[in-house]
Amino acid sequence: MENNKTGINRFLTKISKPFVRFYNRFMDGSLGTKMSHFVMGSGNVYHGQIIKGLIYFIIQAGYALFMITCPEVNKTPLGYKAFINLITLGTQEGDIFTPADNSMLMLLFGVVTIGITLMYLFAYNSGIKSSYKADQDIKNYGKVTSFKQDAKEMLGNRFYITMLTPAALGAVVFTLLPTIFMILIAFTNYDKERQAGLKLFDWVGFDNFTAFFTNPTGEIAARFLPVLAWTLIWAFFATFLNYYGGILLALLINRKGLKGKKIFRAIFVLTIAIPQFVSLLAMRNLIGEYGPLQNFLVQTGILSEPMSFLANAPNVWTARITIILINLWVGIPYSMLLASGAIMNIPESLYEAAKIDGARKFTILRKITMPYIVFITTPYLISSFVGNITSFNIIYLLTSGNPKVTGGYIAGGTDLLVTWLYKLTIDEQQYNLGAVIGILTFLITSIVTLVTYRRSKSYKEEDAFQ
Amino acid sequence: MGKKIIELKNIYKKYGDFTAIDGINLYINEGEFLTLLGPSGCGKTTTLRVIGGFEQPDGGDVLFDGVRINDVPAHKRMLNTVFQKYALFTHLTVGQNIAFGPTIKKINPEQIQKEVKNYLKIVNLEGYEDRDISTLSGGQQQRVAIARALINKPKVLLLDEPLGALDLKLRKDMQDELKTMHKDVGITFIYVTHDQEEALTLSDTIVVMNNGRIQQIGTPVDIYNEPNNAFVAYFIGESNIIHSTMVKDKLVSIDNVDFECVDTGFGQNAPVDVVVRPEDVVLVPADKAKLKGKVTLVTFKGVHYEIWVEGPSFEWKVHSTIPQMVGDELGVTVDPYNIHVMHQAPIEIKPVETAVEV
Repeated sequence: MENNKTGINRFLTKISKPFVRFYNRFMDGSLGTKMSHFVMGSGNVYHGQIIKGLIYFIIQAGYALFMITCPEVNKTPLGYKAFINLITLGTQEGDIFTPADNSMLMLLFGVVTIGITLMYLFAYNSGIKSSYKADQDIKNYGKVTSFKQDAKEMLGNRFYITMLTPAALGAVVFTLLPTIFMILIAFTNYDKERQAGLKLFDWVGFDNFTAFFTNPTGEIAARFLPVLAWTLIWAFFATFLNYYGGILLALLINRKGLKGKKIFRAIFVLTIAIPQFVSLLAMRNLIGEYGPLQNFLVQTGILSEPMSFLANAPNVWTARITIILINLWVGIPYSMLLASGAIMNIPESLYEAAKIDGARKFTILRKITMPYIVFITTPYLISSFVGNITSFNIIYLLTSGNPKVTGGYIAGGTDLLVTWLYKLTIDEQQYNLGAVIGILTFLITSIVTLVTYRRSKSYKEEDAFQ
Repeated sequence: MGKKIIELKNIYKKYGDFTAIDGINLYINEGEFLTLLGPSGCGKTTTLRVIGGFEQPDGGDVLFDGVRINDVPAHKRMLNTVFQKYALFTHLTVGQNIAFGPTIKKINPEQIQKEVKNYLKIVNLEGYEDRDISTLSGGQQQRVAIARALINKPKVLLLDEPLGALDLKLRKDMQDELKTMHKDVGITFIYVTHDQEEALTLSDTIVVMNNGRIQQIGTPVDIYNEPNNAFVAYFIGESNIIHSTMVKDKLVSIDNVDFECVDTGFGQNAPVDVVVRPEDVVLVPADKAKLKGKVTLVTFKGVHYEIWVEGPSFEWKVHSTIPQMVGDELGVTVDPYNIHVMHQAPIEIKPVETAVEV
């Protein structure tokens, strides 16, 4: 295919561009720039930018020192040894007299060293760029910028770089590295028996992933699909029941001629104002075995003896349905507020235009009000679906994932992927399995988000409804 | 022509303490292009909404073809509306918007498609069926709104400041097109605007309104040349409006100087308002006129000069093609038939009989 070929070509030129630029700089550059490829900062010194050159040189010297001396923390080295350790994850098996190599720290330090190396490469490239720029400045203006000018520039035109650097560094250190670390753990057999310093753990490839689908003993695999199914059922009902319930409530409250609209709205918004964990725990006690609701049901003779609707419910579905109902009470006010906003924004003339064409109330609702609300609230719908997939508090506070299920592999009847993940890692120290669930959850939510959002009208027609 | 299609009899409408319409009597002929003209808050849009069935009058009757329709809902009134801000359904395409009414009436889809094509042609948007509303310009959206109203085959089309949101050039083009459409479709148009020039350009009949009352009904020429009262003169075009005294029939004292005029029947020494259009004032050398004044300001306006002349007690606005020097002493003259004398008190509009036949 002609088209395909150019596509590949374009891809190849795109990825080769930095290397071509690197090569060109080396060939075009002055002696100083050429030198910069070996000793960082020498190009700047060559052009008389002493301070700048020194800073670059210190960076290179510091990195070299770090890599060669391999400083140790908790008897685990960083530097070049960390690369080797990242591959082996430790060789020293422990016994009563000698502790084992700490595989977890080795993995962590391997990742950290890779991060430091990437930052070094970035500085290395910018050192060459800076020397090359000095070449160009001499060619074009006959002089180079002074350190003072450069520093001023960093507070002036290039202030965004000064401001963004700490944020970017923070994102790398606190988000990117831990994420990579977590992803890597999913490919090891790091669990309760192989705690740090007691026993080595090792790379196991995709074994953890296959265990979720084709475990010979069947334990995890047998639980994974049911938990996933319940997670999706929960997310579906929690999202759409809340959504349409909110719209219905909003339609009722915003009816023309209803008196005390503000009071009604305030009553429902109160549930938002109360911290969620307070209202969830209160609800749990209210309908619990010894709570007032049970008391009432027993005394009026509807139930012969107290029965649990949540953690100790006789049937999994009793607990599941109760959770969904309680969630309605927590979630509907949000979507009501949102839908109210949309409804109040629909111009009256749209209704009049439809009415004059003969549309009845139901037709107007179906053809005008609903498309309008859905259009405006689709992004909310998507984020609330994703939020519900990972909705930890509601499940954990109401049932802690219970009632128990036979062969549950820790997962109870109402456990979602996230609460199962929490139990696996915090209670059971099955770090590898927890990491796999984390990755799978991420895949599910990102696919759902990308596909639905890109297909939604809100994305395609950003300008509509203005 | 000449058949009354809509009649308003003694219509009142209040919003709380605010009287939006204060007793309106009006009839509209079949096929006419009638404009309700007035400043914001004069009651013109409310009048339109009463005709359209979106508001119930607090008093009075609305007749359609001689039948009272006060209680008939909007969609059964044989009329349709083009709204100020188009009120298009942005989640539907151009074609679906236009087809909205017929679809609800469950007409067969092939027939609807044919009709949609036909009306797109009428509003000059052939081939736009599948476009999204958001991709259209303001002028195009307005055309879609007109097509959506016309496809329901109303006998009367109500237009609520439909060109208000367009820029000047586009507005002029759309005015021409609206006139052509009116001729082609042949139904009655009732048009609301606050733009006097638009009203003069488009209308067969203009109804000038203020404070919920009709000030004057007439053809554009009548309204411009023979304003009923100071408000109409002030609102339509530019004028010199001067408090004066009618000395006797055919003689009026303006700015303390007697002028001959053609009006009669005001009595002797009666207080009146006199309206003189700036282009009707003739400047002559100071010794050739009884009324003398001093030029205070000369501004070039393109077609003419706008000259302000300070008289004994009134500053005259004059339009002339001949420039004058600031500070010069000049004479002010007006031909008798260009002096319009009117009562100072606002004129009560008499019932329908006084409406001008077109």
